[in-house]
Amino acid sequence: MSIAATITKDNKSFLARNQSWMIQSAAIIAPFIVFGIFLTFYKVNPIELYWSMVQTTFGNLYGLGEVLLKATPFILTGLAAALPAKAGLVNVGGEGQLAIGALFATWFAVFYLDTMPAMIGIPIMLLAGACGGAVWAGLVAVLKVKGKLNETITSVLLNYVAVFIVGFFVHGMLKDPNSFNWPFSPEIANTLRLPIINGTRLHVGFIVAIVLAIIVWFVLTKTRLGFKIRVLGSNRLAAERAGFQINKMYFWVLIAAGALAGIAGMIEIAGIEGRLRASVGTNFGYLGFLAAMMAWNHPIRLMASAFLLGMISVAGNKLEIFSGLPSSSVNILMALVLFFILGSGKLVKK
Amino acid sequence: MKIRNNGLKSMIVLVLALMLVVTGCSQPGSNASTSNGGNTNNSDQSVSNVVAGLDSSAVGFIFVGTKDDYGYNQAAYLGSVAVEEAYPDLKVIRAENVPESAEAERVMEQMIQEGAKIIFPTSYGHLEPALNVAKRHPDVLFYHQGGLKTAENLGTYFGTIWEPVYLAGVAAGKMSETGKLGFIVSVPIPQVLLNINAFTLGAQSVNPEITTNVVFTGSWCDPGQQANAANSLIDAGADLLTLHQDCMKTVVETAERSGIMTVGYHADANELAPNGWVTGSEWNWGDLFVDMVKVGTEGQFKGSKYDGKYRGTLADEVVKLSTFGANVPAEVQQYVEEQKAGLLDGTLNPFAGPINDQSGSVRIEVDQVLSVEDLESTNYLVEGVIGTIPQ
Amino acid sequence: MIADILTGAIRSGTSVMIASQGELISERAGVINLGTEGSMLCGALGGFAVTVWTGNPWIGTLAGGVCGLLISLIHAFLVLSCGANQLATGLTIMFFGMGITAFFGKNFVSQQIVGFNPVPIPYLSDIPFIGKILFNHDPLTYLSLLLVPLLWYVIFRTRLGVILRAAGEREEVLFASGINPKLVRYLAVLAGGFLAGIGGAQLSVAYTHSWVENMVAGRGVVAVALVIFASWKPLKAMIGAYLFGAAQALQLTVQQQGLAISPYFLFMVPYVLTLVALLIVERRKQSQTPEALGKVLAGSG
Repeated sequence: MSIAATITKDNKSFLARNQSWMIQSAAIIAPFIVFGIFLTFYKVNPIELYWSMVQTTFGNLYGLGEVLLKATPFILTGLAAALPAKAGLVNVGGEGQLAIGALFATWFAVFYLDTMPAMIGIPIMLLAGACGGAVWAGLVAVLKVKGKLNETITSVLLNYVAVFIVGFFVHGMLKDPNSFNWPFSPEIANTLRLPIINGTRLHVGFIVAIVLAIIVWFVLTKTRLGFKIRVLGSNRLAAERAGFQINKMYFWVLIAAGALAGIAGMIEIAGIEGRLRASVGTNFGYLGFLAAMMAWNHPIRLMASAFLLGMISVAGNKLEIFSGLPSSSVNILMALVLFFILGSGKLVKK
Repeated sequence: MKIRNNGLKSMIVLVLALMLVVTGCSQPGSNASTSNGGNTNNSDQSVSNVVAGLDSSAVGFIFVGTKDDYGYNQAAYLGSVAVEEAYPDLKVIRAENVPESAEAERVMEQMIQEGAKIIFPTSYGHLEPALNVAKRHPDVLFYHQGGLKTAENLGTYFGTIWEPVYLAGVAAGKMSETGKLGFIVSVPIPQVLLNINAFTLGAQSVNPEITTNVVFTGSWCDPGQQANAANSLIDAGADLLTLHQDCMKTVVETAERSGIMTVGYHADANELAPNGWVTGSEWNWGDLFVDMVKVGTEGQFKGSKYDGKYRGTLADEVVKLSTFGANVPAEVQQYVEEQKAGLLDGTLNPFAGPINDQSGSVRIEVDQVLSVEDLESTNYLVEGVIGTIPQ
Repeated sequence: MIADILTGAIRSGTSVMIASQGELISERAGVINLGTEGSMLCGALGGFAVTVWTGNPWIGTLAGGVCGLLISLIHAFLVLSCGANQLATGLTIMFFGMGITAFFGKNFVSQQIVGFNPVPIPYLSDIPFIGKILFNHDPLTYLSLLLVPLLWYVIFRTRLGVILRAAGEREEVLFASGINPKLVRYLAVLAGGFLAGIGGAQLSVAYTHSWVENMVAGRGVVAVALVIFASWKPLKAMIGAYLFGAAQALQLTVQQQGLAISPYFLFMVPYVLTLVALLIVERRKQSQTPEALGKVLAGSG
């Protein structure tokens, strides 16, 4: 593969830089055309659908809020994949880290922060969520550093364990006593809910996600630490020779990634759900991973790719209500977008 | 690198612009807040002069699964079809596979934007999201299926399904030879526990020694899990299976192939198991839904029987017993019909005390009369049920 | 009771087992395919649909395999021809599989099929204990039991196996002997997709006789994890799959005994067990990871 890769790279190096932008735009537009053709077979007018998608997103504040709301966790779980990727690690565990973050945040909210004022309660809850995600990523990190286990596989396996742990708690210790055995936690106190923007369901968690993305970007590009992380990611051997404490770096990068995903979990609870369910954030981790891939692990571009994924997810219900097609068929559109971006990656990357 | 920086800059500008828009609109009292949604304060003031559901141009139905699952969602879907036929002028909007989370709120909001002023959230877990949306939209009427909480513009409806489940239990007790019944369920909510109890009490009324093995799968419709559970129960010696899941095809067919009997739930699956089908319990939502929509569109919800907790019964034909299988002897059928007559004229009470729970302590005293609320908050399993409620 | 658990292990582990054998082929050639989940879903729906149309479960199963293969072709193309990231592409395939099967499967949820039924093998199924565990299954399960030694033989004892392993370890050798390693990888990924499709079809056509949206429910992801757990050995992958099945059967048995162990702890068992096993065998295995795969897993593929 490496030989093939070099050949491709050499061939493409003469591509004018403008051209790479054109390829990128084409990669974004093409899947919509393919999906549109697909839709016409099922008597759905794609132009009408896309127009309504755009209208929902930009037509009014509520619609925009819904899309941003969807994009928020994708940004955070995307960062949880992008940051380790810069250090040469593959963290597919955003899913589990988000779930455990949500569990920790809910646990604190229900048992300790019930009567706290928002000014104190929300930050503590945020911290708890970050800790939860960090603990879960810490497992991956320890297995990686001490056990020499590959982080990709351990993080995938731990996703399942995390979901069952949440299931265990919502069926047991965290079960709402007034829920008639329905497996979810009690509702968190109203003071702990994130403030929302009038006329939408959008909450300030969105701002938190953006700020964190900018911080991650800043650290990666403008600081010495970021430089070291990037060196480690692009050339481990060089990093070793330069005397970096590689294991220590791996460990802390994974912890930071877990904390980011954990914050996503906390935001889901405090911002939208208000209580913990076993299904909290299902697929958000994986979608975040994909959003990061679409953005080539660039924290700022990640915001755009997360926004696009959010737009497509919201369109799903619209599609069903309009045309009776199953809402999950937008997964096809989402996958097509990703296929084209992944497929064109080599053409524009270098 | 240069391009990337350009891209970066434009991204930052875009993000900043976005934030500006968002923060700009978040000023209290800005116009945007009245366009959609609105906040709680607004709605509280306007409750008095808004009639929920009046002049609805569309009716929304939300299902937790797919519409043809031979089960819970299919029954509710058939109800929505009846509404469609009765009101050709009304647009019926449906959304399947809506998760029981805040996601459901968004679907309901979208339906409201499409003009729906009457919405049927048909799964128990849609209650909390529906209550939230109901608070935001006092002009929209919600009929929630199976809920235990209500609001100004949200009524709940359900059926006393335990009546036919009890009768099916009677039939099962008559038919079982090993005296071991198997019951596949998902999570231990009161509806589920009540059905397990009713079924077991029905079977015990004809065979006091009979036991019911309960298996919790944790999911409402996962065929792989269902097949595992069914096989496991069959291996343990059960000769009749029943279930409380949203879909039942896999269980009925697995039982049929293993040569054992089934009692169905939600829909008639007689055709899936020509040999082993005994009977089952069914919903019959059509007429009820049509009437509820009528009441809603006329603005008569307040003060109607649907304002609050409405429970349709065996007598109302909202719940009913399925057809009997071909291999159910006539005398068994007749005996069950007699019990049914007893239920209808009130001489038979399935939950007549004394009834003990699994630990042997008395849960229902002699002569204790239970309300629907009491039954719908069942949190124990009766004696003779094997299996524990997951904690 | 132990017999019941073991029988249950084979019954619920078979679909995972077939898929993991397929994934094993693919990984031996150096390509990891998290899209196995998507391939299984397509196999489950394709197998079910064709069985509905033809009334023949054999044709259905074959079609399921082809559906799994077609989906994995996307993976092969993006990864091998476009140089896309394997893990990201695999995840995307997973979502694509969910979407496309939800879309086309809508009308099949209520359909009935005459699928495979357990066929007790005469005489052998009468052997006490073992007979019930091993010789009372559907035909696909028997075939899957034959698949494992066959695959072992091909991988470790034939020239084809040498080529396959070389694609994952030393592609220079292949270049030197005039074989295009890319082609080998393509074929390995397709074979993997085919078997994943068969695994999915086993679930729908043989085990449950039904199609429901997203019915594979994570079994494909487990199959991928099992291959690594098994250090790329067919027999160990089979044991792993049955262990997974046994854990599922065990939790049901435990429930029926009325023991108050949370089922959620038991649900976790297979995954935790996999992790522990990974940890124990890791040192020995480092050298066994196909080299090309090692690069992917290290994040540079």
